[in-house]
Amino acid sequence: MKSQHVLNFLLGIYIFIFFSYLFGPLIIMSITAFNSAEFPAITPWECFSWRWFSEGKIAYDGQHLAGLSTDWRLHDGLISSLIIGFGVVCLSVPIGLAASIVLTQVHSRLRTLFYSVSIMPVLFPGVIIGISTVVLWDRIATIGGDGLISDLGRNGIFLTILGQTCFISTYCFLIFVARLQRFDQTQEEAALDLGASQTQVFFKILIPYLRPAIASSAVIAFLASFENYNTTVFSILSDQTLTTVIASKVRLGISPAISALALVIILLTLIAAITYEILKRREDKKKKERQDLLLFEETQDSRLKREMKGSFRMPKSIFLVLALIVVGLFGFNQLVKNGLYGSECVKAAEIAKKSKFSDQLKLLQQNVGTVDEKSLKAGELGGTKDYNNIFGDPNLFKNFGGLDNKSPNNSSNLFSID
Amino acid sequence: MSADVDLQNVSVTFGSFYAAKNATVKIQEGEFFSFLGPSGCGKTTLLRAISGFLEPSEGKILIGGQNMAGIGPNKRPTSLIFQNLALFPLMSVADNIAFSLEVKGVNKVQRRKRADELLELIALSGQGEKKVHELSGGQKQRVAIARALAIEPQVLLLDEPLSALDLKLRQKMRTELRAIQKRVGITFIYITHDQGEALTMSDRVAVMNEGELEQIGLSDAVYNSPQTPFVATFVGENNPFYGKVLSTEKNMVKVDFQGNSFLANAGNIDSSKKHNFSKGEDVILFIRPESIFIKDKNNKLDNNFKAKLKTIEFEGNLKNIYLSTNSNMDVKFSVPNAIDTSGLSSENEIELTFSSKKAVVLPKGSLAVD
Amino acid sequence: MKYFFDKNGPLVSTYFIIAIIFWLVFLIIIPQLYMLDLSFRPNLPPLLRGGPDDVHTLIHYKHFVFGSETNTERFNYVDIGVFFNTILTAIFVTIINLCFCYPIAFYMAKVATPNTSRLLIVSLIIPFWINELLRSFALRILFAGEGVINNILLGTGLIDTGINFIAMDIALYTGLTYAYILLMIFPLYNAIESLDINQLEAAKDLGSSPFRTHWRIVIPHAKAGIASGCTMVFMLTAGALATPVVLSSPNTYWFTQLIYQWFNMNDNWSRGSAYSILLLTISVVFVLLMMRLFKVKIGEIIK
Repeated sequence: MKSQHVLNFLLGIYIFIFFSYLFGPLIIMSITAFNSAEFPAITPWECFSWRWFSEGKIAYDGQHLAGLSTDWRLHDGLISSLIIGFGVVCLSVPIGLAASIVLTQVHSRLRTLFYSVSIMPVLFPGVIIGISTVVLWDRIATIGGDGLISDLGRNGIFLTILGQTCFISTYCFLIFVARLQRFDQTQEEAALDLGASQTQVFFKILIPYLRPAIASSAVIAFLASFENYNTTVFSILSDQTLTTVIASKVRLGISPAISALALVIILLTLIAAITYEILKRREDKKKKERQDLLLFEETQDSRLKREMKGSFRMPKSIFLVLALIVVGLFGFNQLVKNGLYGSECVKAAEIAKKSKFSDQLKLLQQNVGTVDEKSLKAGELGGTKDYNNIFGDPNLFKNFGGLDNKSPNNSSNLFSID
Repeated sequence: MSADVDLQNVSVTFGSFYAAKNATVKIQEGEFFSFLGPSGCGKTTLLRAISGFLEPSEGKILIGGQNMAGIGPNKRPTSLIFQNLALFPLMSVADNIAFSLEVKGVNKVQRRKRADELLELIALSGQGEKKVHELSGGQKQRVAIARALAIEPQVLLLDEPLSALDLKLRQKMRTELRAIQKRVGITFIYITHDQGEALTMSDRVAVMNEGELEQIGLSDAVYNSPQTPFVATFVGENNPFYGKVLSTEKNMVKVDFQGNSFLANAGNIDSSKKHNFSKGEDVILFIRPESIFIKDKNNKLDNNFKAKLKTIEFEGNLKNIYLSTNSNMDVKFSVPNAIDTSGLSSENEIELTFSSKKAVVLPKGSLAVD
Repeated sequence: MKYFFDKNGPLVSTYFIIAIIFWLVFLIIIPQLYMLDLSFRPNLPPLLRGGPDDVHTLIHYKHFVFGSETNTERFNYVDIGVFFNTILTAIFVTIINLCFCYPIAFYMAKVATPNTSRLLIVSLIIPFWINELLRSFALRILFAGEGVINNILLGTGLIDTGINFIAMDIALYTGLTYAYILLMIFPLYNAIESLDINQLEAAKDLGSSPFRTHWRIVIPHAKAGIASGCTMVFMLTAGALATPVVLSSPNTYWFTQLIYQWFNMNDNWSRGSAYSILLLTISVVFVLLMMRLFKVKIGEIIK
């Protein structure tokens, strides 16, 4: 029917728009990681360069924008994130495990209450959990006097581990509950009947059964901890995690280093996803082959034949991949043709920018008080257009040549200096 | 080593509901004893009470003379084979079998040895490294048995172990189980709803209904001399004739049924006593299908009656013939396939005959529901 | 209790009890109770806490409603404004999200072939493995004054000067809608998938228009999914911090930013707690409302 075709066509367009909305920003961001311009952009395309992955940009205008390998804040944050993630896993997985098993053992009246309380952390806004953890432990630290408790109660990493454990335990809890539901209780009884003590039943029967759930909840717990922001930003106090570092870049200045970071994370995610999918497909194939074999053996008497399905079918997405490759090659070709890559290009651009900058500086010093923003073409320098008008503040140049630039005005920024 | 199991007035209640009521029976050591009954009659409850997963609300359970009150299932000298077998899916066959030794702390070498012994007993030598899901139904059965026997229990409890198998396999396993029991020599307590299994495998059978033990006895005693109408109709097929007592003599009873006067054995109350019947009492006379014959010059027995033919059912080696009497009750009897029944028709009444020695009279009571 | 110890063995039981009490009591209940209590106390420097000045007071809640003592207006329009702006925007975003995601969820659940469906699901999940912050940054790059969108528009001559998407809050709304799509789609997808497709065909057979089919058959069936999706999106949007931090203009505050300000910049933990309690209350109220409205139980709301 015609209307059906039209409907399908519209639906197709809708889906296309939807998915470009989802992926578009990420793809664009990834591309900007390679543009040596100081504010992430596709046009104008300055130079193709890897600089944001490595050394970044050394200031000629007082602003140092670090690349991925030189950003010490990022590295510190990463290490903290890893430590916290590890701590959270060590706490949440056992807690979730305990809670899920106890859930199966309590009376049904208590069970609903227990379940509801266990679910609650997920329903709290993350900021609430962060705040409540900090205020409580601050009080404990005050009461506890000097020494370990006082230090601990004010330690950002400790508090963040606690705060995140609060709700990440719920995730683990849910994973274990799902796995436990399919557990065959008679196995426990059989083990008991054969002489095992309760503790032995737990370790020899229950835990091996739950091993996949333990693994998956550990992974989920780590990932959830790693990418958490809302709770962490309150509980981390004077430390930083990777996410709070990223957030603080809003104030410190957006550079394509963020795009570079995003691209790295996207690639890691993709690799992880593809690996997981490949492993899973292989596992499924093995399982299916085994089942077919068993079935084949069992039905040999009745002379039934089973066909073995084997081959790996090509997904239609191969076309998408081909399209991407074509586009990529085209872009690459353009780059090469116009000489828009390499360190010569970057150096040339830098020289151009430097000279423009010193021209403007001269202009400013000559025309103090009579300067007009538009004539300075402030926008072309990039990096700070969205923030304060740096040319309005002569205090800026007091730190000229220094590596860290602290924004002079705090009025419209909401995060205090670390 | 084997032990006897003594149930003394055991009752198990859930709230006000009696799952098992006043169960008293002494199971001899080395005996193959079956609890037979329909679903929900309480046989599983008793089994779980004996194995230690339930505590009786009343009464005592003694195994080998020792009171089992308060002793958990892992400390009783019993092994239970579950209806779903409950094999450990993550372990190999050998590990499954040796599990009870593993939890006791027996070292690996000895465990291996014992596992190999048992694998040979169940005819699965060399298959120890296979995983459970790679086995067929019958093989899993045998592994479950081997696993239960590894620790050499004094009593083996089996919860309807053959119900999940198909017919041929079931028949094969019946013989195997019996053989294993004779070889190993320990007490087997077996529960089932299939009376064929119970009768062929067991030394003694206990018939259960709604939590109570209705009759305990040897297989042929339970079959030939049922003590209640339930037992009469649950174990094998039986034709109930509702009638009134005309007179009693010695061990025989004369019963009036629709104008017919039948002579039959007085039923037993228990293995030693017979019922005392009074004149005019409502009773049921039971005669099994295989004991009814078409009256002809070869078959002339002391009880005779007439009935109209309803249907003839062909069952392979037998023909089941359904008759309707004046009371609209179907009487069923069987004749071997060889007998020629082509002369029978639903227009004429057929004359039938049966022996008083095969008939049993019992006080009126409820029958086993189909 | 003895039964519990018997059932699990002494070692394991102890572990269970410690773990559960630690979690439920120390990590969930006590911190919230303490924060609630703190919200009723004046903002004292650390040394004076627990002392004679530490009494219960409504001063912070009063501040929320009426503003400080020096406030000349009748009510604290700024704070209350921020609060309601947050809530209303969150509701608005939730509804947009719902409308936006429903067709996709329906398509994936009922119309697409299983292979396509799986592919779509996987491709939906991938963007959301990337941190919310980075995704917001991606949008920031697009929407900034000299971001990609403005560059393209300027370059093609469609506009003369850059559009300040950020100050117009367009960036913020886009970002918020973007952030939680996954949480709306999956409950919807799961709910719609369980619908028997024969029902839809029967409806078509009986002459029902597509609109009516959806309204009378699909939507009631997907009630639980809708409730679940809306609840999660609302709560995460109202409590969002990452996206507003990156995408909001200096003129628009999100309520969570307000809390942050009281907490870290003004060091007024009691007031921050009070505002947090307000946020918590509204979240709980919304969840209960959703449960009532759609008649779903709490367990169904969790994915």
